[in-house]
Amino acid sequence: MTALERLGWKRLLNWALAFVGVLLAGLGPVIFSAFFAHTILTQVFWLGIAACSLIFLSAYVGMVSLAQVSMYGIAGFVLGNTVTQGQVKGLHLGYDPWVGILITIAVTTVIGLLLGAISSRSAGIYFLMITLAFAVLANTFFGQVTVLSGFSGIGNIQSFTPGFLGNPAENPNRLYYLAFVVSIVVYVLCRYLTRTPFGLTLQGIRDDPVRMGSLGFNVPLHRSIAFGFAAFLASIAGILFVWWNGQIAPGSIDLSAVIDLLVVAVIGGLFRLEGAWLGALVFVVISNYVRSVPGLGHIGITAERYHTVIGVIFLVIVLLSPGGLLGIWEWLQNQLDRAVLRPAVARPAPAEGPEP
Amino acid sequence: MTYVRKRGRRFWLPAGIGALAAAAALAAAFAASAVGKTSAATPIKIGILSDCQGAFGAFYDTDIGGALAALAQYTGGHLKNPNKPSAGFVGGTVAGHPIQIVGFGCSNDRADTAIKETKRLVEQLGADILIGPLSGDEAIAVANYAKSHPTKTFINGTAASQDPTLQIAPKNFFRYNGDGAQWNAGAGDLAYKKLGWRKAAIIMDDYSFAWTSGAGLIADFCAVGGQITKRVFPPLNTTDYSSYVRQLPAPDKVDGYFWVVGGTGTVPSLKAFEQAYGPLSAKNVMGNLFFEVTGNFEQIAPHVSGAYVGGFGTPGTDYHSAAATAYFKNVAKYIKSIPPFGKTSIPEVYGGFFYNYYKAAWALSLALKATGGDLSGGQKALQAALAKVVLNGPFGTVKLDANRQAIEDEWSYQIIAKPGQTLVKTVQWIPKVNQTFGGTFAASKPPPSRTFPPCTKRALPWSGKERPVVNGVIK
Repeated sequence: MTALERLGWKRLLNWALAFVGVLLAGLGPVIFSAFFAHTILTQVFWLGIAACSLIFLSAYVGMVSLAQVSMYGIAGFVLGNTVTQGQVKGLHLGYDPWVGILITIAVTTVIGLLLGAISSRSAGIYFLMITLAFAVLANTFFGQVTVLSGFSGIGNIQSFTPGFLGNPAENPNRLYYLAFVVSIVVYVLCRYLTRTPFGLTLQGIRDDPVRMGSLGFNVPLHRSIAFGFAAFLASIAGILFVWWNGQIAPGSIDLSAVIDLLVVAVIGGLFRLEGAWLGALVFVVISNYVRSVPGLGHIGITAERYHTVIGVIFLVIVLLSPGGLLGIWEWLQNQLDRAVLRPAVARPAPAEGPEP
Repeated sequence: MTYVRKRGRRFWLPAGIGALAAAAALAAAFAASAVGKTSAATPIKIGILSDCQGAFGAFYDTDIGGALAALAQYTGGHLKNPNKPSAGFVGGTVAGHPIQIVGFGCSNDRADTAIKETKRLVEQLGADILIGPLSGDEAIAVANYAKSHPTKTFINGTAASQDPTLQIAPKNFFRYNGDGAQWNAGAGDLAYKKLGWRKAAIIMDDYSFAWTSGAGLIADFCAVGGQITKRVFPPLNTTDYSSYVRQLPAPDKVDGYFWVVGGTGTVPSLKAFEQAYGPLSAKNVMGNLFFEVTGNFEQIAPHVSGAYVGGFGTPGTDYHSAAATAYFKNVAKYIKSIPPFGKTSIPEVYGGFFYNYYKAAWALSLALKATGGDLSGGQKALQAALAKVVLNGPFGTVKLDANRQAIEDEWSYQIIAKPGQTLVKTVQWIPKVNQTFGGTFAASKPPPSRTFPPCTKRALPWSGKERPVVNGVIK
């Protein structure tokens, strides 16, 4: 082995890049424009947390859940109903923001546990359908039950945040840093969890549920708890979302939002936790700036068709690399390895599962 | 891995990566171009927000056309393409400041999309002033946004939910058109007196504009003694109305139906009703403005020719006055056609979608002239001027109340489509209707909803003051 290999140059490089990324994000409000930091990057943080909940389930439990958007939506609606007061839609209960946050996380996690319990015995396409049905149900529910929301949704949530945060519309940097720190905490928490016995059990269940069942593990219970944990993560994303957006409406959690989150996860890398934030960054930047690209209007990509561009990019990534952008990055590293460092020795193809 | 697949990847993967890298570089370049963007003090940057998708997506160019026609007339510019308003605008100036349209927002009647587009226009593209939005719930979201951004100015497009200027009412949000309830002033009265209805049912889209519009019909009808026996609420953007029309009472149980279903839903909902209960007639259905808008009128009027329709803040296509003719001629000078409806025509230009955006941009032009284009000091001077603007328009005078909400004259119509005669006939004029609707609504009361307002008898300020309109002239 060469010296570089002994050091694990790939890992070193990844850590270095991650460090640079975190540093840039930490200095975000200083080095980027106000719009980029507050509208783009803050969105990347909360969307990344939501995508992380989806990727955690898909990578470590083997369940691709389309219900994560509904989870963060439910969190947003519960927070909106509990903390707002005055002439707004919804229950406008006017509770203290911290009480609202606790209720939000509790309610969302319980709903996640319940949905997990219902769907934990199904797998594959059937599990996907159950979560999709739940997503449609949540969207329709909040549209129809006007006492809780209605089509207009709940607005002015930004005026009812905890004291230290202030009104994000007036102090957007505070929300930026909060979302940034929470993203890091969520990532570290997920990575830690996957190395605990519980996390290892989940991965065993992902790989071979029958064997795990015969070893004595309660497979449905573990799946339900994993689902509850993912709902907990999604509830954090939902809280940050409504603080960032100021409002929430059924349109925030409709089918196109569900698909968007799946696109984010797949673009980043459905088997890597880091892919959540990378996918969110690519998705948000493209959605926002594709209309500014000159010349697109001439090939028919008018204002209302920018989704076409995103769709095409998504297709390209999925066709080229099921591991998403991170899969491409790993492939590049391996090619570099092969071409430069050890050209003469044949190497086995890299595994495309998640790293433990 | 098979040999074939490996070979494929060796070519496609680098090619794909190259393409992605190029796209990423482009995106990064645009992101970087946003870094450190300073807004030049001289140009006045305006964003225009409308719907390009969803139930009201067809009115995108109509709305933009209305705003640009006013800007062209009052600031001296012109459209880049007179056959497509959304292609852009050049050349306007006010007191030496060039007018710059930074972009057109593309929303879909949903609050979330409206906020995204507002942020894009105001924060990314640097608009000082936003004209829009189109739809009721979008305006609630934009009004809430305006509350947290007091140094920018927001002028409503054609949204007509009540909340933005009564329950929310930020100091930098101005609305020069009536809300949905104001527009229907006098219509419920017509149902009671002219059509003889005593009991009616109402079907309305389940969102804030339709609730406000329905509230106007309910308040007007119940004020003179009518009774609403059933309220039905299909969600906006419903495509299949069969289960909702079944919730309406059968035609022998009520004297008539108020129909407050709009956009792409008006015609399907009426068809669904006819399939369930048999044909409607002019005697037992009254629509809100959506019965007479271009696109719906052609399909509905032949079926129920003679039906009464609530207003849109403007008279019907038979209205005559020198001011109205001059208005149309001016607009036609700048805009030759409005996609997808074709050549600029009176129904388009008299309609609220066009005229309300026109009023917004007209008021802005007047206020900018009054302040010499001064946007300094958080736009306080401009906002003070906007609150005092009086529009002496072709269809009556519009001024703002203390909540920056229009007080305007309202109209009721009859849609006629007989052989040899197709028109939106103006039948009634009500002067100076304000948002409180004679005390029915107030900031301390809840906004219109599924259950508000209740059906109560009360005295309305315009009872007795409505004037009939015959052959397009107020009597």
